[in-house]
Formats: sequence, C-alpha cells, structure tokens
Amino acid sequence: MPIYKVADVVFAIKPIYKYTARLCEKYLYSGDEAPEFSAVMTNSDIDAERNQAGAETFPDYYLESLAVFRKLCDYILSCRQGIIFHSSAVAVDGKAYLFTAPSGTGKSTHARLWREMLGDKVVMINDDKPIIRFIDGDFYVYGTPWNGKHHLDTNAHAKIAAICEIRQGKENKICRISPQEMLSVVFNQTIRPVELDKMDNLLSIVDKLLTSVPLFRLTCDISREAAETSYNAMVKNNIK
Amino acid sequence: MKIKDGFVLREVAGSFIVVAVGEAVKNFNGIINLNETGAFLWKILEKGATKEQLIAKLLEEYDVDEKTATADVETFINKLSEAKLVK
Repeated sequence: MPIYKVADVVFAIKPIYKYTARLCEKYLYSGDEAPEFSAVMTNSDIDAERNQAGAETFPDYYLESLAVFRKLCDYILSCRQGIIFHSSAVAVDGKAYLFTAPSGTGKSTHARLWREMLGDKVVMINDDKPIIRFIDGDFYVYGTPWNGKHHLDTNAHAKIAAICEIRQGKENKICRISPQEMLSVVFNQTIRPVELDKMDNLLSIVDKLLTSVPLFRLTCDISREAAETSYNAMVKNNIK
Repeated sequence: MKIKDGFVLREVAGSFIVVAVGEAVKNFNGIINLNETGAFLWKILEKGATKEQLIAKLLEEYDVDEKTATADVETFINKLSEAKLVK
C-alpha cells in the first residue's frame, strides 16, 4: 500500500481509483516512520461522500479523494490537534497568511493578486484545503494535495502570522476583528464533526487559534490596490 | 421545558455558543450565539425548568426588576422554541 506524509502525518492509502494516487503523488513518503493509520477505501466511503455533496454530482474517483481527505482530517482532529481550514494559504518570508471566505468570494483571486504583486516571494501553501495544526504553542499551516480548482499547493508548512476574512466590496479596506467576529467564519470553513468528543477537540483548537493569531477583515475588489491594502496591514502591520 | 438532547453550550474565544452533535446534527448545522444571560438560562434549561423558575433564577442572579426579567425570559424561550431547541 503506498504511504504518504501530509501535515506531518504518515499514513497509507488503498484507493479504488487511480485519481487519488495521482493527486497525492507529491506527498509520497519513503522514510522510516510507520504509517499512523491506513485509509482503505470502500464503495460505502464513496456513497457517504456523495450524500455529503448534496445536490451537486461528482464522479466516484473524485468523491473517493474527498473521502480520503475526510479520513485524514478526522485522524488529525482526534490525534494531532489539527483541522482543515478552507482558505487560500500563502507564505511570504517563511510566515503564512490565510485568506478565508465562502466559496466564490475571491480567496484564490486575492492570493493571485499577492503573487502578481510579490512574484516568487509568495509560496502557495494551498489554495483551497490546507490543514492547520497547533504544535508547541503555535499554529502552522500545511499544504495538502487537495488544492482547489487552480491546483496550487506546496508540500511545505509555515507558522501562521495572520488570518483574514475576505468580503467583496467597492472600496479596499481592512481592519482587525475580534475572535467573536471570526468565530462563525472559521466554524463555517471547517469540517464539523458529529461526535461530541471530536466537537470539543474542534472547539478547543478554534479557541486557541482565535485568541493567539491576529485576525483581519478585508473588503476588497480585484486590483493591485486590494493586495497592497491586505499586505500592508497583515505583513507590514500598517493599517490605513 | 428542557433543552433537547444533542445541543451543547460551550465557551469559545470569549463567546458562548451552542452547537449540535450526534443525531441533532441532522436538523441543525450551525452555531447559535448566546449572551451571558442566555448562557445562564440555557444552563438551567439543560436540567429542565418552568418559565416561572427561570424568572426566579434570573431575579436571584441579576440586578433586574421582575418586569424586565419576565420579558427577557419570554423572549429567550420564544427563540428557543422557534429554533426547536427545547422539548
């Protein structure tokens, strides 16, 4: 069974379809650590994922890849103090900045504006489904193979310097927001577990995240000025 | 009146929130924000209480008059009923 390392977790996958293996190729692991768990995929995993997807229809191979991701997130939530945080995560000079919003708002677009402005200084950790973990008092974001429609990810991790909620608007404005204001945003951009013990794990991680990482809200259009506004505030600590 | 099974009150990053777990997730999939008074009343309702008992507890704990306490409790339990959080 092929072995992978994602978010510093070594695990094996036995997929039914080739797609998942191709998707995760960059994360193949050949070191000495033993896998912490195995994701042996079955048709019932795919059926469960189809039920989660609701009205949208996806091919089985794609649903399988999502089911693998769900198993990984479930393991990390239970055993490694980590969660999926639906966002576009970029790193500049070794520090990570996370843009989050409901799908279609412009997370990926804003990350692209940073790349256009800063060029090679920007490392795309993950454009859609990074994993964040709490390790020794700090939060880190990890690239994962589940990288969104533009397929942008790096098998790397970086300490989280700031999180920014993105809203569309005509004027480019950014402000610091409170943990209370970010709470429902984060809650809506992660997988919410059904079991009480896992829900308590999630809430404990979210509590630590929101009280230790600087939080911002950016209202923006699609322009260089938008990128400058968020960059100045989040990286240069300069809010106009 | 009592909070239905599967709804839990937690304090996260300085906010009181209610989330659903287990079977309750099928009908509720979000978070409810409560203020301090709401959280106080919620904790009592986890064990079960009548409207009159809630008002009495509120008067004991907070410096409010009976009219305000009654109005607050009525608003709160109406919201809980609308959201189908109590049985």
